[in-house]
Formats: sequence, C-alpha cells, structure tokens
Amino acid sequence: MEKVVVKVCLGTTCFVMGSSNLQGLNEVVKEKYGDAVVVEGSPCLGVCSTNWEFSKAPYVKVNNEIVQEATVESVLAEIERQLA
Amino acid sequence: MFVDVDFAQEKKYNQNAYGDYFASKRFPETGRLIAVLSDGLGSGIKANILASMTATMLLRFIEEEVDIKKACEIVMNSLPVCQVRKISYSTFSAMHCKEDGKVKIVEEGNPQFIWISDGKVMEPECTVVDSVNFPNRHMHLYNIKLKEGDRLIFCSDGVTQAALGSRNLKLGLRREGLIKIILDELQEDPEISSRDLSKTIVRQAILTEPDRKPKDDVSCFCVYFRQPRNSIIFTGPPYHQNKDNYYANLFKSFKGKKAICGGTTASLISRELNIPIKVDMSLNIGKLPAVSYMEGIDLVTEGILTLTKVLDDLEKGIIAEDAAGKLIDFMLDSDCITFMVGAKINQAHYDPNMPIEIEIRKNIIKKIEQVLTTKYMKKVVIKYM
Repeated sequence: MEKVVVKVCLGTTCFVMGSSNLQGLNEVVKEKYGDAVVVEGSPCLGVCSTNWEFSKAPYVKVNNEIVQEATVESVLAEIERQLA
Repeated sequence: MFVDVDFAQEKKYNQNAYGDYFASKRFPETGRLIAVLSDGLGSGIKANILASMTATMLLRFIEEEVDIKKACEIVMNSLPVCQVRKISYSTFSAMHCKEDGKVKIVEEGNPQFIWISDGKVMEPECTVVDSVNFPNRHMHLYNIKLKEGDRLIFCSDGVTQAALGSRNLKLGLRREGLIKIILDELQEDPEISSRDLSKTIVRQAILTEPDRKPKDDVSCFCVYFRQPRNSIIFTGPPYHQNKDNYYANLFKSFKGKKAICGGTTASLISRELNIPIKVDMSLNIGKLPAVSYMEGIDLVTEGILTLTKVLDDLEKGIIAEDAAGKLIDFMLDSDCITFMVGAKINQAHYDPNMPIEIEIRKNIIKKIEQVLTTKYMKKVVIKYM
C-alpha cells in the first residue's frame, strides 16, 4: 500500500494561525497508523499567498489534498478518508 | 581587508561601575573605523563618568573628520586636573584605522599599544606632542601601516599593573608580561578573533593577581586586520517573479556562508536550484518554527517571525536556543553581511484576523542593519530585489 504523506505548513501565516499546535500530530499518527502515514514539515506550501482572501490557514497537505483550517482532528479525518 | 575590533573589560573588585570606557564606530561607506579607550581617574561611578565623557568626546571629534591629532590635542589641553590628587582626570588611547591598513594612533597617559606582525612585536616610531597647558601631559602619535594578519592590542594600566606589589611581580605584569600572554595565546590559536583575544588578556591579567581580584579596572581592546568573513542572507521572494532564477543563481554563486530566512523563499530556492528541503517537525523550539536543512546552505529558517525575534534579541544581547539564536550566531560569526531582500509582500500576513502584528520585511531588515552596525560593529549591505 502507498504511504500517506502529511505535510504541515510551517510558513509564517500557518505557524501564527495554529500550525504550531499541530506538532502533536507526529506522535498521534505514529501510534495510530505506524509507518503507513508519514508526517513532515514544509517551510511553506505556498497556499496562503494564492488563496489569501479565503484566509483559511493553517494548511496541511495530505497527499495532494489540502486541509484548510487544519486541526489534529480534521487532519486525522482526512487521513482516515484517504485510507478507506 | 576587514578590521576586526572588539574589547573586554572587568571592573575593580568591589566596585559596581566600570572606570574605563571603550567606544568605537565603523563607517562602512568610507571604510573607516574609530576606536577610543579612556581610563578615568579613580574607580567606580566617578571614573566611569570621566572616562565615558572623554571617550565620547574624542569619538565625536574624530568622527566629524577633525584630524585625530588635532582632536586629541584639544581634549588633552582641556581635560581638567583633579583638585585633590593633582593628576589628570582621564587618560586615553585613540585609533583611526582605514581598510587599506593605514592607522593613526594617539595615546595620552595609557600604556603603549602593542603591534604584532608575523608573530613579532614591532617598535613603531612615534612623535611626542607636549601639551601647551599642562607640562606633565604628552601625547604620543603613531602613523603605521598594517598588513594582513597584523594585530594591535590596547589596554588600560589595569592590565600592565596587574599584581603590582605582589611577591612574584613587584612591578606588576608590565608590558613584557602582557606581550608574553599575547604571544602564548597567538601560538595556541593563530586565528583567534579580537573578541576572544581581548577576553583572554583580561582574564589572564586578573589571574596574575595573588587573590584573583582586580585592583583596578582592567580593559583591553584588540584589532585584527584580516580577510573579511562574508555571509549572505536571502529573505523574501523577488518582486518580479521572472527574476527568481537570476537571484537564486546570484545567491548560489556568492562566496561565503549562506542563510535563507523565509518559507516561501526556501521553496523558491529549492525549486530554482533543485535542492530538496528537509524539515524536522519535532524541533520547534519556543515560539518559532524549526530550522530546515538544504544542502549547500548553512541555515534555513522561517522569515518574519524569526527576524523579528532576531532584532529583539540582538538589541537585548541574548542568544537563545531557537532558530533566532542560530541566525544570530550566523550573523555574529561574520564581518560583512549582505542581505538580499525580496520586495514581494504576502497579503496573507496582513489579514486583520491574524493574532499578532507582522512587520514589513524591509523595515525589520533596516532595523537589524542599525543594530548590527552600531552595536556589533558589522558591515552590512542591503540589496533589494
């Protein structure tokens, strides 16, 4: 099975808007899915500058899907959806 | 060539203020550097005021393009004499140095400076100028030319008279003892920075005291004439996106250490130069995003938040354990720092819903430049893109 890659944006906007709170994701995901899901940081996904008027930071990319206003729960839900 | 200048000092035992004062200023446009060390009469607050007054006055005089000889003569002839002890209020050493190695030095009352070239102590010629108002005041004037690797060491009499009257060193450390300390240290670490050398001298001078307590204010400033250590910091995407590639390559071809500040900027360089970025999620320390890693780049950090903290910490003189601390270390390890500042603005930063206020990049860099040049004596170049 393909690995699911989760990229957490650590750019200025996302960090201020709450991606700093997503650090716990790493452990939760590891516990729940083991090696099937990988969580990585990204210096900037570049979403806020193209999508700024929607201001839905923080953004997280789960494979190619972008999760807006990401929380640990919403990211887990997206992983769940893709794994199903 | 770059003039690396730094100083260290320790106050007299049981005093709460430094009685010596060091002031220096660099002029990057003209390649000039002025440094002044003054030793105030006595110790504590009174000495501190006298010394800081003398040094500040001299610095301002020389700064205004007044010839150093003339400036020092005015100060020498006007410094008052203590009513009680009948000696001068303060003594000083002043130095005017250019990047081509031409140095003018004036000393009045302070121990003679030490010039080290190729591991040997040089004995430069000097001209003595007598004071017209005070028969016991003489100024020593030197005109010397430094070459790469040369060092100058200036100190207050607290260094040369350390351990005065003790069993082993009845006449104190003296010039000979100081030279030995310097040569020993240079033998051990030939490339030692002025900052570390001056610290070593002050520490060693105090260690010669039998009870390890300084009996006078101990100050020392060192000059090291060497090749500059260059570094470049790329922050913010260029205004015209079609120039990304050009600027990325300009950054790549820079000779020296390289840092990137900014997520978008890092992605841009990664894309243009085809270097993958590695981010360590688990390393977010404090309130700043973690640093990332790119091959060939010495440091990659987030942009505005990190730069804002860098400015704050530079002003306070703190080096924290986070990304800002790493960037400060990066800056303080260089002599000449070039900022490539992208003028593009990310509108998302100015969303009124953002919980904190985000400064405009240009403004922060300008403020950082101010602190780096005035407080840390660095040479800073800013290029806008």
